[in-house]
Amino acid sequence: MRASVLTRTLRDKWRSFRWWCIGILAFVALYGAVFPSLHGNKSLDNLIKSYPEALKGFIGFGGNLDIGSGAGYLGTEVFSFWGPIVFLAAAIAVGADAIAGEEERGTLDLLLSLPVWRVRCLLEKLAALVCEVVALGIVLWVLLVIVSAAAGMGVSAANLAATTIALILLALMFGSLALAIGAATGRRALAIGLSATLAVAADVLNALAPLASWLNSAKFVSPFYYYSHDDPLQHGLDGSDLLVLLALVLVVACLAPIVFARRDLSTP
Amino acid sequence: MTAMIWAEGLTKFYGESRGVTELSFEVEAGEVFGFLGPNGAGKTTTIRLMLDLIRPSSGKLELFGLDVRKQSVAVRSRAGYLPGDLHLYERLTPREYLRYVAALRGLDGLGEGEALAERFELELERPIRALSKGNRQKVGLVQAFLHQPDLLLLDEPTSGLDPLVQKTFNELLREVVAEGRTVFLSSHILSEVQRLADRVAIIREGSLELVEAVDVLRARAFVRVEATFSTPPPQEAFANLPGVRELERRGPVVVLALEGAADPLIKTLARYEVLALDSHEADLEDFFLTLYREGSASAS
Ligand SMILES: Nc1ncnc2c1ncn2[C@@H]1O[C@H](COP(=O)(O)OP(=O)(O)O)[C@@H](O)[C@H]1O
Ligand SMILES: [Mg+2]
Repeated sequence: MRASVLTRTLRDKWRSFRWWCIGILAFVALYGAVFPSLHGNKSLDNLIKSYPEALKGFIGFGGNLDIGSGAGYLGTEVFSFWGPIVFLAAAIAVGADAIAGEEERGTLDLLLSLPVWRVRCLLEKLAALVCEVVALGIVLWVLLVIVSAAAGMGVSAANLAATTIALILLALMFGSLALAIGAATGRRALAIGLSATLAVAADVLNALAPLASWLNSAKFVSPFYYYSHDDPLQHGLDGSDLLVLLALVLVVACLAPIVFARRDLSTP
Repeated sequence: MTAMIWAEGLTKFYGESRGVTELSFEVEAGEVFGFLGPNGAGKTTTIRLMLDLIRPSSGKLELFGLDVRKQSVAVRSRAGYLPGDLHLYERLTPREYLRYVAALRGLDGLGEGEALAERFELELERPIRALSKGNRQKVGLVQAFLHQPDLLLLDEPTSGLDPLVQKTFNELLREVVAEGRTVFLSSHILSEVQRLADRVAIIREGSLELVEAVDVLRARAFVRVEATFSTPPPQEAFANLPGVRELERRGPVVVLALEGAADPLIKTLARYEVLALDSHEADLEDFFLTLYREGSASAS
């Protein structure tokens, strides 16, 4: 098969992808090892229930704070804390590098002097981002299925899959946002900074929503709400939440080429 | 026959700052067209406009009779580009990189790249980050030529090439032109363009000064003589010497342009006390000085 922008980008990402996988493996193994000592621990439960509401918003996943149960444990530790950080960091890094990184390194000039349509180049970069995040998601899911069974967490593979899909979509939304900002401006640091800031703001908005009524209606703009509010670890796939997340990804992806198709490429 | 390059009123502003203004010129098939100008004149801007990497503020630009904006992919498939400031994928080897370029051009393997690499004695297996500047430049040249393009857009191609490679490069250009293909070559070195090009455009501060056959330009070539005197000679000392024009005077230093025989000038210089004498073939800056002189002479 002849190389394309997509396959070339995937090959370039292989090295960093392996490191992300090793990181995920290490964390999931650690969480699996700690779980048996927390299982059914009521005093920890009571401690968390005594936390202020604001803190609970950040810790809980879909309102589930029962850290002694498998679903509660994975929700609070993996899907409401460490998972989004790792997945969003990976997606934002890849997204920001896709166009803006190449442009800042000066390699985009020669790439787009070849008979490659600009928008097509961007879409292939986007496809590479999707491949990488989905691959990370599959790695996470497989490891969680294994650890859940081994440590007796009792969370089904289907529910883990549903939650992982939501996490993938959440990461893709901010990853394609970084790609879009980078493509529009050619500035990698700006793409990273702005999309990470927006991600944190969206998370905070969703976490603090129960505290004030005006926040409670504003939470609907936060992608994190659709990611977690229905607790897919306990309740499985919720089609409408996933559709909202997918729609957000598609909207950002469709916006990405608009400025890029028209602007001047810069040289370092 | 349609021109290979056709520009009319081509203008590019970067926000407020001037890129190029009102360029109009044509490049015919089968010629080496030299695009000569000092740093910041607008050479790179012009070439990047041709590849649709940047967009014009106004004016028209066609390559192969195709609009560079509307049919940019078709234009780029027939052109080869060597950037003035070359940035390559550092982690790849030249072979991996050239295979990528060839694939995006719809070619299997390296296209002509293998043969070209051999000609330039480019080692294909070492990572690009480990290559010297000269070897990187070879990678840049090979990727520009590997699909046998109808038109080569070379932005200051000889910077960083050692003399031996330069010779191979010159031969390659001659073959390309013998096959009826076209070369657009930018440079800031007058002698280089005189050596390589058939026609020359001179660009300065964003606008074209002149477009001439290189023979015409060569006929206007001269030697620059810079003489330092113990006391400044009289204003008219070199006024009526055959083939001699005074270009500049800075206190005891007089700069003269000499065309043809040196003898009358030497005899005149000998009448004064000369502390230092320096002469070399005129470069672009000297050439501009004479253009200025002619301009002000014809204006007065
Ligand atoms: N991205 C840019 N932003 C602003 N000004 C630019 C930019 N690129 C080039 N210029 C200006 O355009 C003019 C022409 O530059 P350039 O085409 O690079 O000249 P050359 O290649 O002949 O050295 C210069 O004055 C330069 O400062
Ligand atoms: Mg330049």
